[in-house]
Formats: sequence, C-alpha cells, structure tokens
Amino acid sequence: MTPSLVLRFAARDWRAGELRLLLAALILAVGAVSAISLFVDRLQRALVAESTSFLGADRVIESSREIPQRFRDLARERNLAQTDLLTFPSMVFAASGGERSQLASVKAVGPGYPLRGALRIADEPFVAGTVTQRLPERGQVWLDSRLFPALGVGVGDQVSVGYSTFTVGKVLTAEPDRGGSFFDFGPRLLMRAEDVPATRVVQPGSRIEYRLLLAGDDDVLGDLREEIEDELRPNYRWQSIRGANASIGRALERAESFLLLGGLLAVLLAGIAVALGANRYARRHFDHVGVLKTLGATPAEIQWGYTGVLLVIGIAGTLLGLVFGALVHLGIIAALGGFLPVALPMPGLRPVFTGLVTGFICLLAFALPPLLGLKKISPMRVIRRDLAAGAAPAVTYSFAVVGSIGLLIWYSGNIFLTIWALIGAVITGSVFATLALVLLRGGRVLGMQAGSTWRLALAGLQRRYRENVAQIMIFGFAIMLLLIMLLVRTALVDEWQAQIPERTPNHFIMNVAPDEAPAVQELLTARTDYDGELFAMIRGRVTAVNDMSAQAWRERQREQRRGPDGPGRGGPGLRSERNLTFAEEVPENNVVVDGEWWSDAPEAPLVSLEDEYAENLGLGVGDKLTFDIGGVPLEVTVANTRRVEWDSLQPNFFIIFSPGALDGYAATYMTSFYLPREQKPFLYELLSAYPTITLIEVDAIIAQVRSIIDRVTAAVELVLYLVLVAGVLVLVASIQSSRDHRLKEHALLRALGGARRLIGGALLIEFAVLGVFAGLVAVIGAEITVYALNRQIFELGVGLHPTLWVAGPALGMLVIATVGYLGTRKLVRSPPITVLREV
Amino acid sequence: MTIQILRADALVKRVATAEGELTILEGIDLRIDAGARVAVVGESGSGKTTLLGILAGLDLPTAGEVWLDGERITGLGEEQRARVRARSVGFVFQSFQLIDSLTALENVMLPLELRGDRQAKADAWEFLDRVGLAARTTHYPRQLSGGEQQRVAIARAFASKPKVLFADEPTGNLDTLTGAKVAELLFDLNREAGTTLVLVTHDATLAERCGATITLAAGRMVGDAEQRDGVLQAARP
Repeated sequence: MTPSLVLRFAARDWRAGELRLLLAALILAVGAVSAISLFVDRLQRALVAESTSFLGADRVIESSREIPQRFRDLARERNLAQTDLLTFPSMVFAASGGERSQLASVKAVGPGYPLRGALRIADEPFVAGTVTQRLPERGQVWLDSRLFPALGVGVGDQVSVGYSTFTVGKVLTAEPDRGGSFFDFGPRLLMRAEDVPATRVVQPGSRIEYRLLLAGDDDVLGDLREEIEDELRPNYRWQSIRGANASIGRALERAESFLLLGGLLAVLLAGIAVALGANRYARRHFDHVGVLKTLGATPAEIQWGYTGVLLVIGIAGTLLGLVFGALVHLGIIAALGGFLPVALPMPGLRPVFTGLVTGFICLLAFALPPLLGLKKISPMRVIRRDLAAGAAPAVTYSFAVVGSIGLLIWYSGNIFLTIWALIGAVITGSVFATLALVLLRGGRVLGMQAGSTWRLALAGLQRRYRENVAQIMIFGFAIMLLLIMLLVRTALVDEWQAQIPERTPNHFIMNVAPDEAPAVQELLTARTDYDGELFAMIRGRVTAVNDMSAQAWRERQREQRRGPDGPGRGGPGLRSERNLTFAEEVPENNVVVDGEWWSDAPEAPLVSLEDEYAENLGLGVGDKLTFDIGGVPLEVTVANTRRVEWDSLQPNFFIIFSPGALDGYAATYMTSFYLPREQKPFLYELLSAYPTITLIEVDAIIAQVRSIIDRVTAAVELVLYLVLVAGVLVLVASIQSSRDHRLKEHALLRALGGARRLIGGALLIEFAVLGVFAGLVAVIGAEITVYALNRQIFELGVGLHPTLWVAGPALGMLVIATVGYLGTRKLVRSPPITVLREV
Repeated sequence: MTIQILRADALVKRVATAEGELTILEGIDLRIDAGARVAVVGESGSGKTTLLGILAGLDLPTAGEVWLDGERITGLGEEQRARVRARSVGFVFQSFQLIDSLTALENVMLPLELRGDRQAKADAWEFLDRVGLAARTTHYPRQLSGGEQQRVAIARAFASKPKVLFADEPTGNLDTLTGAKVAELLFDLNREAGTTLVLVTHDATLAERCGATITLAAGRMVGDAEQRDGVLQAARP
C-alpha cells in the first residue's frame, strides 16, 4: 500500500467517524499529560523561585568562619551569581537625644543582595512598604520598624554602631531571608559590607555568621556542591530551601509527589481510553479487512495499512494533544490568576517531550495491539461471520501492561510510586473480576426476559457477563483513580492548613518585667483580640550534672566524642544562660521520645529536655541537673526528652520544668498574639510605652508560608479536576465501545415491539447496576492504594473512609447511569431500523 | 485449445468441534476450463460455501491440492494467496459485503487501488455506469437498495478484471425480480469479459443457466459418473 493510499484510507475512516473516539482519547492522553507537565513545570519553577526567596538565594554556604576564597572562585568559574553577607549582634545607639540603645542583629550586605526575592522599605515604621532593588548607600543604615520606638529615632536621624555613625536612610519592612529561625530575633539593622571595618565591631572571637549566597542553574549548583563536598565539613553548612525551611520543603515535596501521581493516573486513564478506542475501531474493521483480503490485500499490506492509519492518527493526535495541553494549561493559569505569581517562568522543553513520548507509547502499547490482530482475520469471514478474529487478548494485555509500566516509570522516575499504583491496580483487578463474576453470574437465565424492565436489564447483565465484568473493571479503575486523588488531596490539604491555622499568633513579646505584666496584658486585651495570659520565663544556667561540675561534664563529653568521628559537634553550650519555663501539659508540636511526662504535681522538681540538646550534652532520663537561677541553686531530675518542631512558629523551649519547680524565682514574662497587618501601628504604641520589651514579628514568615501552601493547594486541586476529565472520557469511551452490542439487542427488541420505556429503562438499570459494582470495586481499590500511598509517600495518617463506602457506589451509579444513558439515548429514540443498520 | 483455470485434487476438509472431528468435504476432484460457468448446488450444510472458500484460496483444505490460474495455491502462504486473489479472482457475496463507510464509487475503487491502479476512479466510474448506477456513485451502501448494493458488488468484482469470479448465493438476499435482473447482469458481464464463473446457489433456474453443475451432498460430489469424476470442461457459454 502506498502512503497516499494509506492517507486516503485514513481520510475515509475519519469521514465515517471511525477514528474520532481514538483521536479524542489520544488528544486527551497527550493533552492531559502535557497540560499537567507544563503547569507543574512552570509552577515548580515559580515555587522554587518563590521559596528560594526564603534564602535570598538558590543555595547558601553558611559558617561562623570566613568563607574560603576558593568557593567564590569555583562559583565564578561556573557563572553562578554570588554575593557575600555577614550578620552579627551589636548594640546600636541613638546618636542624638536620650542615649537610648538596643541590641540589634546587624546584617552587612554586598552588591547584588538579595539574589532571590526583594527587600521592602518605607519612610515610616510598621507599614507594609514597597519593593526596592536598591541597598543602603554607604554611610547609611536601614532599620527594622522595632528599632524606631526602641531608640526613639526617625528616618534621617543618626545612629552609631561601634566606632561609626550612620544616617537612618529608610525603614526596612521586609527582607526575604529573614528566615524561619525563631532565634534570630534581634531587630534588624541593614548596612553595606564595605562599612563594617570602620565600625571595628568585628574582632577575632566575635559572634559572626558568614554567608555566601549563590544562584543559578540547579545542575550547576549541584555540581559545585559535589566539588566542594569534602571541604564543607565540618565548618560550612550548605543550605537549600528544603533544608532551610523544613515545613515548606516538605509541602513542596509532597505537592510534587501528588502532581506526579495525578499525572500518572491521567496517563493510565487516557491509555485505557486509547485502548478502548482502538479496540472498537479494530472490531468495526473485522469485516472491512475480510473484504480487503478477498480483494487480494495481503496480510503485510493490511498490517502496514492499518499501522499507517494509526501513524497518521498518532501524529495528528499528538500534535493536537500538545496544542490542547498548552491551551488547558493556559486555562489553568488564567483560572488560578490571583493565586499565581504575576510572571510564571517560561516552561522548559521537558513537558513537550513528555507529551510526545506519551502519545507515542500510548499508540504502541494501547492502540497498536488490537490493530495488529487485524491481519490475522481470515478472508473466509466474509462468508462465515462466526469466524473469530483479532489478536489473542493475552497479547493485547501484555502489550498494555508493559507499556503502562514503562510509561509510569519513565514519567514518575519513581519506581516505588509506580509499583504501588500497579499493586493497587492488580489487587483491584483480580479481586473484583472474581467478585463481579460471582455477582453477575448468579444463575443462568433463559432468554432475554423481555417481560419487565428489571428482568430484561438483569438478564442482559448476566448474559453478557464477560463484557460486563470487563466494563466494571474499567469503570471501577477509573473511579478508583479519582477517589485516590480525592482522598490524598484531602489528607494533604487538611494537613497543610492545620500546620498554620488562620489567626495563628504572629507576634511574640518577651522580657516583660513582672511589674509591667498586668498592664501589658490589659493593653493587649483591650487593643487586640488577645485573651491569653502572659507566662513566666526565667533565665538560668546549668552548673552541675550528677554532682559533677558542668565544665567537667562537658570536657568529659568532649573526650568521649573525640573518637573516630573527629571533634565533637558544636552545639548549644551546657553552661550558657537559657530561657526556662514550666508547663503542666506537653506543649503543642512537642512529642515525648524518652521517659514520661509528669503527673499534675510531682513531689520532687522534674525537668524535660529537647532531645537533640540532651543528646549533644550526653544527658538522659534520670540524670540530675543543678541550675543556677539568679544565684539560687535548684536541683532537678530529667524526667523525659522531647522532640520539638522548631519550624512550628510557636515558642519552643530546650528546658521545661514541672509546675511549681520555678515558683519564687525572679521571672520575666512572655506571650504571643495575633495582629492583622492593618493593626501593625499598635506595635509602635506598645514599644514606646514599654521600650524594654523584646518583640518578635513572625507575621511576614507566616504570610509567606501560607501563600506558598495556598498556591500548592490550588495546583493540587486543579490536577484533580484534570484527572476527573480523563476519567469521564474513559467512561464515555468504555460505554461507546460496548454500545454496538448492547444496542443491537435492544434495537431488535424494539423491532419486535418492545416499548421505548422498556428498553430505555432496562438500559438505565443496566448502567446503574454496573455503576454500583464499579463504585464498590473502586472504593476497595482506593482504600488499599491510599493506605499505601499515605503511609509510604506522603507520610500522612491512615484509616478507612466510611463515607466513601456509601459515596463510591452511589457516585458510580449516578455517573455511569447518566453518561451511559446519554450515550445511548439517541439510539433508543431513533427508529429501530436505523439502529439495526448502523450497528 | 482449452486452458484449465481451476483444478482440485482429492480435497478433504475436516474441522475440530466439541463433539469431535467433523468432515465437511471429502474426495472432491474437479477441473474447470477457462470461461466455463459452473454452478455448485446442494442442501444447506452440504459444504458448498466451504468448497467455494477453498477453491478461491480464502481457506486451506485439510488434504488435497488446488491449482488456480496455474498456481498451486494450496502450497502458498496467506501472503502469496492474497496476491493470486488480487490478480485472478473476483467475488460476489450473498450479503453484498460492501464497506459501509465507503461510497459506492469508493467501494468499486478499492480493488483497483489495492493493485496500484492510477486510474482507479475513472475505471470504477465506468463499471458503475455499466451496472446502471452512474447516478449513485456518491451514495453509501445504507442509502442503496439490496439490488443496487449487489450491482455495486458486481461492478467491484468485475472492475479488477478477474479470470475467475466466485459468487456465493448472489441472488439469495434479493426478491425474484431483482434477483433475475442481477443474475442477468452477472451473466452479461461474464460473457463480455470471458470470465470463468463459479456460482454457489440454491436457485435451480440460476443453476440451469450455467453449463455445468456440481452437486454436493454431505461433503461429497454426487450425480452422474462424469460429474463424479470431476470432468467439467464441457460447459462453455
């Protein structure tokens, strides 16, 4: 067969409507995959860009030592953007006026800072400010809002740091790498790195943190890391966004997994639709091929001819699918408008490639096998219709299975996810084929039982039980995939939203003097919706462990550590002064990992330690600690150790005492409260009235985390809808492919005098029963798969979903009865002769 | 000198069924000269259609040989038998076997296109004209009556200028009058083209119009000695 003949054949089949379903399925397969890929690709780029602003860079090398020049040289060789900065605590003095001073966290930055994200500045404190590309001029500093009331200065006034005096240029209202670090809470003073030497505050032994900010291509950054891996340890820390903010990192990872899962399921669904379309096409061509063969077409010509037609459809479907995918993804972006960053980065080539490969594999694995069977059709079929034809089903299925596995692994790059998806499918498949078979076979019925609608429907279901079991499996599989998406999505979004509920306290105040505490509490209650109580925080340090002085204990620890692992890790010091508190209950976001939490009022004072802190210092349950609190010793026993979620944005403590243990010690007070953006000026009032209070604002960080989580959630929901569309297409394809057979019987009944209501009702009942069974199949499969996915991939809670057991079959019944009835309604209504001629 | 266009030696066809092996044809020997008209008659289930399929190379016998247009087609693979069909064989079926999705013209063009005929369209049009359907070229099979459909099938069969035309109950689905017209057309074209005609039929009148008759009963040839010996060269139009 010549290519032009193939084209002519394809055109005729197209005109006859034989190829439309196949083409639609293919367009959807390629379209869904490329839309998801395009969107995920762009969103990922946007999210990464956004979340890297948490670092102010793509990667950061951080140390208490100066960053080696070699690192900078290597980064320069690789054309990475880079800039240096250092932070250190320093007292800031108001140069004019009342001699006021405040401990500030100074950040000295070089040109180019920040590499990701942007600074915001304003001319008055406690407002949102505007984005700027500039940095302070030399000789200028930009101050955190909090410093203005604390120092009693305004923009244009002078402040001094060490030996230098600076002009206050602007109010610094936001900086991208403010960081999730709760303990970097000193108010910020931003200055130029070039001005640092003149201040003479940086001396050997000063508490300085050096950072080298890097930005550029992910692979190049990875390559750089590999190169300097050995030199980084133990003094330099390599930070990426995932390391820098664990909760965002986890959310991103899970979102990626979810989107990937969605993509996988869409591919599977579309693959099924393609297979169904191709099967129907092949079945409708059995006679066609028989005739061609009697006319002298050879098997090779048949094979090449149909492969050619498939190729034409494949190319058209893939290209149209790519266009469709691009349009859908633009639609998604338009629909998400407000959620997405204004300028999404342009997508890479990978999504297009993904779409192309998907189209190709779908054709090879799902569409080609039934068509390959056509060449085996005997020409005798034209005289004897009963001759069986087509490829052995086993061959078709093995093609599809190999194709799906290949596609899944290639697409996900995650063998684990793929295997779980497949195990879910296989379990569902085998369990339900058996169940459906038992349910449908019940007892063999005689004839069509055309006497009543119900009996006609049930007899039809039982007579064609093989096809119906296959259809239940396909429907069930499609519904199962949708339920999986729905369940995982719900679990994910719930958890994300629970992480940062609305009105999470976003401001902390500490260092409230005991005599100020009642007044502060009153002020907060009056001016905000605060209704809590301030709680005591006591400063104290450990002086002895188990009757050994703290210094001796520490040295012994260091000795023991100096084993094959080299010098001991630097960690929190044992003897430094710490914030102590007491609590009756285990604080939120804390989990006791060793020992037990105390009962209401323990007789002897007990203490609970953060587990890493305890491990670092070689402390454990049962050890006795002696504290020095304001000169008074206090001996306590370690009752338990806790794991603390440091990024929970809640006040967290290394050391918590049992209630009553700290009674009578001099305390300061602290609390947290929620303050919406528009009420920020209240802070000026608070700090002016009580200048010694330490204020920590975490609202910017919370807002940033929330916005990222909102976007990820929106993306996740959207992918769910896409998969839903793919699922409905499978349903339509499946109903279409079974239509001919079903309708021929019913058209015959109509011809023999069956009422339209009888036939229509029977069809509706048939589809509804299929839907209920399919829903049941889907629920069981979904429960199994979701259990595995939530445990293994998303690390979410697991459990049965009782409502699903009702909702699944109900949904299956509703959807399949509707789609099925709509799909066959036209033919029920047309005169039987038309139907008989068409099928 | 007459040429033997079709020859069968000791044909046997058996098929396996759930109840055991079933013999459909046994001991069929025949020789048919080029241009002859042969009717194959017999009761339903006597093996007529199976014999037609084997003679035309659509199916293979369990034992025995078939020569068609000088080729021993029983020794050929499916691929080569298809080539022999394309070159030498035409079919007309009881159920017409037109392709629903193609117009009348496209149905007639099909065999021409398969052999790479560059003038497929013009030739097909000419044949449709000869069967009196020039006005219906763009109609689909479902828009044609049974008689018209069979005339399209006859045009398709003759369009490829076959040496042997196999017809399986060509009038079986038609009323008497239409059947007679279609049969007339078949014989006319057969005479004009000098095609050999092998015709399976129930219709005694139709069988009589053929020069020779093979009668099958339970898979065996019956009748006078000459026929049983498979000598069928006498029948010439």
